[in-house]
Amino acid sequence: MTNKQNPDTQQNVIGRSVPRVDAPHKATGKALYTADMKLPGMLYGKLLRSPVPHARILNIDVSKASSLPGVKDVIIGKDTPGIKYGNWRLFPQTQDEFPLAMEKVRFIGDEVAAVAAIDPDIAEEAVGLIRVDYEELPAVFSVDEALAPGAPLIHDEIEELEGNISIDRNIDVGDLEAAFARADLVLDDTFTLHAVSHAYLEPCAVLAQPDTEDRLTLWTSTQTPYIVQCLLASTLGLPENHVRVIKPHVGGGFGGKMELRPWDFCAAFMARRTGRPVKFVLSRTEELATGRRRHAIKIRSKVGFKKDGTLVAKDFEAYLDGGAYNSMGPTATFLCGNFGAMLYRYPAYRYRGYHVYTNNPPAGAMRGFGAPQAMYVSETQMNIAAKELDIDPIDLRLKNAMVTGDAIEGVTKISSAGFVESLQKVAEMSGWKEKHAAMPPNKGMGIGCYSFISGGVFNWFNTPYHFSACEVRAYDDGTVHLLTMASDIGQGSDTILRQILAQSLGISVENIRITSADTTMTPKADLGTWGSRVTLMNGNAILDAARKIKENLAQIVSLKFNLNVIHEIAFADGRVFAKLKPERGISFAEAVAMWVTANRGRELTVRGYYTPRDKGLTTPAYSFGAQVAEIAVDPDTGIVTVEKITTAHDCGTVINPMAVEGQLEGSIQMGLGYVLSEKFVMRDGKTLNTTFLDYKIPSAEDMPQIESCAIETYEPEGPYGAKEAGEGLAIPTAPAVAHAVFEATGYRCKELPITPEKILRATGKLME
Amino acid sequence: MALPRFSYLVPKNLKEACLMLAEHKDKSRILAGGTDLLIKMKNRIVQPEYIIGISNIPDTDYIRVDREQLVIGANARLSAVAEHPRIQRYFPALAYAASVTATVQIRNMGTVVGNICNASPAADTATPLLVYDARVVIMHPEGERNLPLDEFFKGPGLTVLKSGEIVKELILPLTAGRSSSNYQKLSARGKVDIAAIGVSVCLLADENEIVTQARIAIGAVAPVPKRIGRVEKYLEGKGLTQASVKQAAQISMEESAPITDIRATALYRKKMVEVLTMRALSSSMEQIRTK
Amino acid sequence: MSKVNITLHVNGDTYSIAVEPWRTLAEVLREDLNLIGTKIGCETGDCGACTVLINGKSVTSCLSLAIESDGKEITTIEGLSTQGDTLHPIQEAFIEEGAIQCGYCTPGMILSAKYLLDRIPEPTESQIRQALSGNLCRCTGYNSIVKAVIAASKKIKLKKPLQN
Repeated sequence: MTNKQNPDTQQNVIGRSVPRVDAPHKATGKALYTADMKLPGMLYGKLLRSPVPHARILNIDVSKASSLPGVKDVIIGKDTPGIKYGNWRLFPQTQDEFPLAMEKVRFIGDEVAAVAAIDPDIAEEAVGLIRVDYEELPAVFSVDEALAPGAPLIHDEIEELEGNISIDRNIDVGDLEAAFARADLVLDDTFTLHAVSHAYLEPCAVLAQPDTEDRLTLWTSTQTPYIVQCLLASTLGLPENHVRVIKPHVGGGFGGKMELRPWDFCAAFMARRTGRPVKFVLSRTEELATGRRRHAIKIRSKVGFKKDGTLVAKDFEAYLDGGAYNSMGPTATFLCGNFGAMLYRYPAYRYRGYHVYTNNPPAGAMRGFGAPQAMYVSETQMNIAAKELDIDPIDLRLKNAMVTGDAIEGVTKISSAGFVESLQKVAEMSGWKEKHAAMPPNKGMGIGCYSFISGGVFNWFNTPYHFSACEVRAYDDGTVHLLTMASDIGQGSDTILRQILAQSLGISVENIRITSADTTMTPKADLGTWGSRVTLMNGNAILDAARKIKENLAQIVSLKFNLNVIHEIAFADGRVFAKLKPERGISFAEAVAMWVTANRGRELTVRGYYTPRDKGLTTPAYSFGAQVAEIAVDPDTGIVTVEKITTAHDCGTVINPMAVEGQLEGSIQMGLGYVLSEKFVMRDGKTLNTTFLDYKIPSAEDMPQIESCAIETYEPEGPYGAKEAGEGLAIPTAPAVAHAVFEATGYRCKELPITPEKILRATGKLME
Repeated sequence: MALPRFSYLVPKNLKEACLMLAEHKDKSRILAGGTDLLIKMKNRIVQPEYIIGISNIPDTDYIRVDREQLVIGANARLSAVAEHPRIQRYFPALAYAASVTATVQIRNMGTVVGNICNASPAADTATPLLVYDARVVIMHPEGERNLPLDEFFKGPGLTVLKSGEIVKELILPLTAGRSSSNYQKLSARGKVDIAAIGVSVCLLADENEIVTQARIAIGAVAPVPKRIGRVEKYLEGKGLTQASVKQAAQISMEESAPITDIRATALYRKKMVEVLTMRALSSSMEQIRTK
Repeated sequence: MSKVNITLHVNGDTYSIAVEPWRTLAEVLREDLNLIGTKIGCETGDCGACTVLINGKSVTSCLSLAIESDGKEITTIEGLSTQGDTLHPIQEAFIEEGAIQCGYCTPGMILSAKYLLDRIPEPTESQIRQALSGNLCRCTGYNSIVKAVIAASKKIKLKKPLQN
């Protein structure tokens, strides 16, 4: 796998399946996650959560808890500075959370108080001794209820809001009415997509350590140490520089760990008050019952086609059940709209998206952020249209597919697109043409496609700093130290970023030491691991730094060999040399040593930065892909077995094939859970299934045969042509499996998940 | 999720365990594998002051098969039962049910007897034991008693065990003649969760393939795992044909009263009783034919 | 009730400690013995992250009382490398096959793999998947883990002394 368009390639670090730098520690039990960490004098924290979905807090009596021997601190909202927070700092009215409830609680699980004690059992006991008097208020548990006339206002304290819609987004492209008038076929369907859990294996945890002079250090299971630092500082009323956030090893996040969370605040606050470290570790029950979720979205989509299959128009309306707080809802609301119009060219497109407060546990960012929901709808409608128009589903897609250079007016530009190639490749790999329409009884083959962003250009966090930054220090022993706030939460960024730097400087990956995700030691900033931004954005920051290192070292070589000014200097195999006359060169180590001498003792350290300026309105780059699912259905029980999943995908240049494959396979697991087995069972705002026994994520026995192929386009904006891999891939499995189920049974699912019962009802096997 | 506090008692043998149970009554619980009890305790559903730990009592994890019967001791692990070659041969429904209960790890820890005493209507091993005419041997301070397993369950999580009683072992008679048995399970994900439904069948047939003895039991569709007498009576004296199997399945369905809970709806469960009964009987039909 | 004195043999080392009866083995390994390689993912025996071997058998240590392991041989992930930094073939294979992403399920997964390979040295793919079905993973999709177990079984076979 070579990068045809990359002139810099002399060695093959890019495209190599370099094993992860932290894998040995993880394999031997040495890797430290937050819950593993201990400090002298440490106290254990526990939270008191609201048992009711919507209520005013009349009174809180903590006296019994405070006086329990071993309890060192008890806090409630009133004890705190009472400063609101939320990720969308650019729009302060969206920042609707307090670390601990002030006047009201808004969902079952809303944090009301916290205890710190000398052991976790005492803390738990103390929590049980806190008495709260609630005045219950009427509660709403669905978008319909929340928008009905007379519905209770969940955030009555936010003056700018009328009703329970917290955010709305509009997109208008082209003349919708005129476009629909040209349609021969108009589909009008309503879909209900459900909430699911990230179900990362490591429950959230935090350890706060107070320091002198009003400073503190926080270790926390997070994807976004910078965001936690800023918001923690503001909610504590401290300068940012006084708050140090360090990310230890993290056991998965998938979007659920990209915010300041109440336990981060409570640990820090109580650590300051007690003068002792405070640790919180959440239980799985807390995570499933009260943790963030994927947005449940109701989407009505009207889409028009000409009879030859050409798309003419789409009207997309989405209502997101945001739960009690905004969290990352605004982003989901926008991306849902963006992705309703991706993959295919729509001459006219209208999007109306509404993020609605309810008294359900808050939804937040989750792998795909609104795109999986939007594309489930889009892809299913493409399959419906294919049937109605009697056109092969892949041909229908090819007819309308986006290509490099396309644009959605006012929304986005497509700088590289391997979508057509993905469709063609997946058709070939799966044997679509021969097999799709000729599957044996009770078997089906279906297709689902995707696209996703490689980071967003919109500065919703309102950072004054670069979106990504890094520091590179080069040493006369030939090694380099890379410092970056980019957060490896298991996706492998620590490894990928080293590969990019190694390639650029022409040294081996093993010679690069990485320090990451420490807000005091790593330069400002990196917005964190979400939206698939790290490879592209931090990768580009690294290339920026590498360029500067190379400029400096090139000077040394030029001087040493008195090189003619036309010479290009190359960096490869640990050497720095004239490209056309390789013998005129020295080792990287020597070059650095000489540079230090030439600069009279200065260390060779540079900073690299990246902020997507003028990179379109949404993202610098989109990934694309197509996936075919083959399934079998047991016609008597309705149980679906997914037998094979074939994927062709475009993530630009593949930097680490093994890592990309890992993202693909993990995404399929998540997609299968989404479409077939995962769902929350709710009753009046209470989550009934709060263990992994009853919230079913796929196990090793549930996985299909997986085959894949990377279509390598070259993304101009991406480091070495790379773009995202790992979030987009979470999108196609649900629509592909749903399509296959339709082909096998005639059941077209518009309300996920697909359950055996739904299939039996649809096939008439289950009558009342 | 910490466990509540308790005192831990270590009886030297099962008799002593009975005495401890009799002394502390409903403030005490037996701990064998712990996979059910400890979860209940973590959820504060039960909070016994005294835990009587029997898992380390020597010579209680026996599995003995002789010409007459299979005896399963109080501490025999699910994994041991699943992997025992003679249980696999003579009591295949039980071996299979044990092998699909929960996960590898839980099977290494949990006991068949403990599974039964937990009395979940959905326990995988319950219906096979029922169709194999298992008897429960109960030890109490004064001696022992035994009764058929189908008299042992009283309701969800409830057994007839009185204060001071402990199950010593299960006894299964070795069914003679041309018997065939199997266990059918339905799961929504993989194979490792609590049965949404389970059906066990054990049939004895004569040389003409006429059913001489039928046992059928269904789990998770009634407050207790239970035998379906109506189906058994219907099948006895008949040949197994597609029609009789279908009719038997229909009766099965009529006799079941499942509930809707977070795992499945009553309607689906009822339908699955029919489907699984048909599969269980058809499978037995095949086994009989090929003997 | 006061603490009970127990002796735990963990990874070849003997620890004499006093613990309350209600402490689980997972807690005691992590908090008292500082063996933090064993992870807690759910506390109800559903995810397998806390898997350890007791007398060679895989169990979920979150559902096991520490006092009931008195006198027993326990193997945790830290006990797999026999000498200092040498990796066990299963650990090597996991690293090489990309079977580790966030790593949280990894210790439990490796021990379940060990339990399998100790009993079935050359398992089929189906046997591997069944053996690992009590260990949940949210990152890898399991396929690389299955490949790693197959690779490990080959490595272990190569290391065995040749028989005539």
